[in-house]
Amino acid sequence: MQTKRLGIEGSIGGLILVFLAAFPFLASDFRVELMGKFIVFIIFALALDLVWGYTGLLSLGHAVFFGLGGYMLALSYVLQQGVPTFMTRFGINEIPVFLKPLLSTPVAFLLGMLLPALLAAIIGFFIFRSSVSGVYFSIITLALAQLFELLVINLQAYTGGFNGLMGLPRFPVFGEPLELTTYYYLVLIVAVGVYLLTRWLTGSHFGKTVKAVRENENRIRFFSYNPASYKIFIFTISGFLSGLAGMLYVPINGFISPQDIGIGMSTLLVVWLAIGGRGTLMGAVIGALILNWLSDLLSEQYPEIWQLLIGSIIVLIVLFLPDGIYGSLLKWWNGRVLSKQQNQGTVPQMGNLEAGS
Amino acid sequence: MQQIADGASVAGILVIVALGLSIIFGVMKVINMAHGELIMIGAYTTYVVYTLNDLPFYVGMLAAFVVAAIVGFLMETLVIKRLYGRPLETLLATWGISIILQQVIRMIFGPDGKTVISPLADKLEIGQIVIPHFRLFIILFAIGLLIATTFILFKTKFGTQFRTVAQNREMSECLGINTSRIDTYTFAFGAGLAGVAGAVLAPLKTVSPTMGLSYLVDAFMTVVLGGVGSLAGTALGSGVIGETSQLLTTISGETGAKILVFLLIILVIRFKPEGLFRMERR
Repeated sequence: MQTKRLGIEGSIGGLILVFLAAFPFLASDFRVELMGKFIVFIIFALALDLVWGYTGLLSLGHAVFFGLGGYMLALSYVLQQGVPTFMTRFGINEIPVFLKPLLSTPVAFLLGMLLPALLAAIIGFFIFRSSVSGVYFSIITLALAQLFELLVINLQAYTGGFNGLMGLPRFPVFGEPLELTTYYYLVLIVAVGVYLLTRWLTGSHFGKTVKAVRENENRIRFFSYNPASYKIFIFTISGFLSGLAGMLYVPINGFISPQDIGIGMSTLLVVWLAIGGRGTLMGAVIGALILNWLSDLLSEQYPEIWQLLIGSIIVLIVLFLPDGIYGSLLKWWNGRVLSKQQNQGTVPQMGNLEAGS
Repeated sequence: MQQIADGASVAGILVIVALGLSIIFGVMKVINMAHGELIMIGAYTTYVVYTLNDLPFYVGMLAAFVVAAIVGFLMETLVIKRLYGRPLETLLATWGISIILQQVIRMIFGPDGKTVISPLADKLEIGQIVIPHFRLFIILFAIGLLIATTFILFKTKFGTQFRTVAQNREMSECLGINTSRIDTYTFAFGAGLAGVAGAVLAPLKTVSPTMGLSYLVDAFMTVVLGGVGSLAGTALGSGVIGETSQLLTTISGETGAKILVFLLIILVIRFKPEGLFRMERR
């Protein structure tokens, strides 16, 4: 059973990987840049899948971690070019002491992952330790996203305010910015790495415990596990990976603005995952790719129809395909395998099948 | 003193905005992400009735209640009813609905903000304190709304059944209460309250398709702080948030105040996860 499931996941994953790897040879630079962005979104969606899909905690403010990572790197690039105009306009003619560490790209890079992780850990500590139900978690994270967006807009002297940070180079590791294709492949490699990491994490003993927490928290508590620390840990990892995604987003997008870090972005992310299928990892990949591609196709030419369409898609998917595209595919496939085995008289025990789905 | 008076009117707004959400959340455990859009629809209804057609303001408020309640009724029967017992799915679905509602309004009225002129333009001055009449009206209206809702919940047949379902759904089903119908009425009622909120808020802020979002978060914070499904909790939560944020605004600016209030709420639910007021469940 397990091998069969890996079979379908492996073949879909392989197809997507081949397509993404061949993409720069087939498409214009403009399209490659877009696709690179979508791959960053895949990483971001995988990060949320750990929290929502596997732990059952719907975070409505994940863009905060994404944005925190992105802003660290973006701010670092901007500061390296000298004191930016949005600072001098407020009478700050020297780089403030607390921003000095960002002058070094590696430090900024580290901070861009550690700060989101730390923020996630602190929030997790306060929320999960007090047996607050999942719904409260969603509300608190939603408020956090709104607050963070507001904060970035208001701290104009340090963040560039509403306009965001612009003119960012493409990852100048050795002084020169990377070629678009090189950077594209770098992002792709990181995405594959993150996918394997999350796959390993969710398949491990730890991941199974986390899933058990999602299914029945009290029973897990009776087995003398502490669900809170599992939730805090996975939320922290998710924050870390979201920060990473945010940093990869900055060089390919060329700018970052408050729109990338608030409620809008957070909820979009949730939609990718809901439509792709949560708790499967591959669903996150499929959802992020399909939704972004569709959005790119439709939103520029028919913004009005796109808004109506995305709203209706959400409602319809929730009503009729609660497992999302990939989740439903997986269910259908498992059902087929089961009936085939029944015909051959080798019915697996239900327990095995459940564990596999 | 001026701050306390201003805080009271902010608290009044919060009561009006959060009441419908609290009722829906309390009975159905449904997180209605479209609550802000129902407020927005109420505001647009008032704009059409009061500003465009020159009818009295209270007609606009009534119309806002009716229109929002109808939208809520449709939402409940078409979508939410099918998702009972799956709070996160309901959250997603109502969020999808909120996007649709926003876009429909944008297509009808255009993306620009509309202005509704306040029906009460005068100011009340007591010594140093200045309170615009409309703000005073909001405070009184919030108190009136609380009393009216308490009356409905404790003195009518619907109210009794509502409280029964909120306390123990299975048991009320056993007693022959049609819980599904109570859910529909509750949702329509809560949606109607959101519509009235929109009507009252329309003169204060610009009426635009995206105005709902900030109210949604405010309303949630109020409900979380006060405790779910408790009218007293909603009132207390609004009072605390309204006064604290208004007092803090003078010290640390608007954003600083918002952050501090948020931290306060996180601290409160760390130690009192069910909010300041806990509803009894049997």
